[in-house]
Amino acid sequence: MSRLRKPWSDRRAELVLGAASLLTGAIVLGMVAFVAVRAWPTFAHNGLSWLAPGGSLGGQIESMLSTATNAPASAYHVRAWPIVYGTLLITGLAVALALPLAVLCAVFIVELAPARVRRVMIRVVRLLASVPSVIWGLLGILVLVPYVGNHLVTSAERTSLQNTVQLTGAGLVVAVVLLTLMITPIMVALTCDALTAVPAAWREGAAALGVNRLRAIRAVTLRAIRPAIVAATVLATARALGEAIMISMVSGSVFFSPRPSDGVAFLFEPLRTLASTIVDFREGLGGAPALNSTLYACALLLLFSVFVLSVAGYLVKLPLRKYQVRG
Amino acid sequence: MHRIRRFEGGAAGRRPASRAPRLRFAASLAAVTLIGSAVPAIASATSVITISGATASYPLVQLLAHKYVKLEHNKVSFRISQGGAQIGVNDVAAGRVTIGDVSRDPLPTDPPGLVFYPIAKYAICVVTNKSNHLANLSEAQVQAIFTGKDREWSQISGASVSGPIDIISRTSTAGVLTNFKSLFLANKSVSKLAAEEPSEGLLEQQVENTPGAIGFLSNYRADSGGVNAVGYNGVGCTLANASSGQYSAVARFYEVTKGKASGAAAKFISWIDSSRVAHKIVASQWIPV
Repeated sequence: MSRLRKPWSDRRAELVLGAASLLTGAIVLGMVAFVAVRAWPTFAHNGLSWLAPGGSLGGQIESMLSTATNAPASAYHVRAWPIVYGTLLITGLAVALALPLAVLCAVFIVELAPARVRRVMIRVVRLLASVPSVIWGLLGILVLVPYVGNHLVTSAERTSLQNTVQLTGAGLVVAVVLLTLMITPIMVALTCDALTAVPAAWREGAAALGVNRLRAIRAVTLRAIRPAIVAATVLATARALGEAIMISMVSGSVFFSPRPSDGVAFLFEPLRTLASTIVDFREGLGGAPALNSTLYACALLLLFSVFVLSVAGYLVKLPLRKYQVRG
Repeated sequence: MHRIRRFEGGAAGRRPASRAPRLRFAASLAAVTLIGSAVPAIASATSVITISGATASYPLVQLLAHKYVKLEHNKVSFRISQGGAQIGVNDVAAGRVTIGDVSRDPLPTDPPGLVFYPIAKYAICVVTNKSNHLANLSEAQVQAIFTGKDREWSQISGASVSGPIDIISRTSTAGVLTNFKSLFLANKSVSKLAAEEPSEGLLEQQVENTPGAIGFLSNYRADSGGVNAVGYNGVGCTLANASSGQYSAVARFYEVTKGKASGAAAKFISWIDSSRVAHKIVASQWIPV
């Protein structure tokens, strides 16, 4: 007992902490290897055209369910473009909406709000950031989906697309709105922290040069926190990519690629993402090997995209080093 | 600030007063360990039956388990989860649970070695939104609607809504969907346009939300009042009609075990089969086998 109370030598602390971080790295690598091994069969049969469009994805998955242990090679045939496209669409739109919203919110909270308002807003933002995503899903399915389905979708749009897709209200716009609401508080919290870390001397220097407040914010503060904005965007995008349950509840659960050529109806068209497909078909895990492998391939693709995101974030921050305020 | 200890000499150099807190700590640690090791011993005196599977049979199995625990004076406990009929089959085949709830008949693609014990029958009702007072559909009409041939409510006589038909279905691994296809659609596939909900509850919610929706539910959910249950081939989808055999679209709930059921699971399943109390529970909202 007394041995633990004595201050540890540097060497011992170094070994223990090094072991802990190696363990974390090993767990991550083990996870990627586990998923990759189980996803391999479907990539072996389809190659890179796994990502391409072709045929009806719903039909391909349904035909996988009837194949048992000795699945023939034709059972693995899948062209998963609709869900890859759905993931890119939902995540891209949500982040594009959340980024300006979050930056402007953060600027208001830190630079322009009176101290009392600022204290309350910071707490509210942190609370919003910790709301579980299933709550957003319930909000969507009980409030937004009926509202969009009954008041925003016109019967002309419904009828014109009735042989291609059903417009029930659950679709792109509800999913994007909820996802934006979910990722904005995280970005606001991180950007606020970065804004408060900008040295007061920089702001005072701008004021001394006669620059008005808004221009100082734009020219000095926002430029200084660009690395933090990139980091916040990477984090928010990773969260958006992995969001499964909420999207599964409100996005319409149909294998369909929304078509911008449909005009306003594009916003109401149902879709599925990689993560929501895994959730919807999780009953098939451990069942038909073709379906099992396809779902693991969706998971591998998600892991890969998060990795690409981190690398992209690092590359974007590289030329910003000279403005570095915080890492 | 750290108290610097000086270790000079043996026991004589240590102040006896510093031993008391250490002795207290050791004693409380021993007590916690003893209690902690006793808890699993107490728990193992009651046997635990783990069940997972269909969302359609969950309300029934929940009621039966509740009653059984009371009759066995808490000597047995249950852990019931849902996920779908296929999850029940996979879990029991892999040994993750003792019993699987399955709402469809055995398929040739099921893992070998499973034994299916029927415990109840249930009716499958076609349901529409409450604002659509559709009273009856023939077999041909149901097939035309769900395979996507008829796309407008104006093509269906008796419908009180207009516009396109919104088909709400289940994900392909659902037991109720398998039975719906074999009982109503002569094993044809549901149209690709249909929204695929992962559970009965979400399907019911979608049909309630959308005026032009049509879907299918087990009779327990269809009778809950939130949706309009449509008659099939001239017979209303009610418990009375299903029990008397007039309503034809009836399927079975099974409890599935790996190999023949044994131990606490076997006693539970035979209780469901033979006991009058269990029979009453099943007859309340489902059809006894």
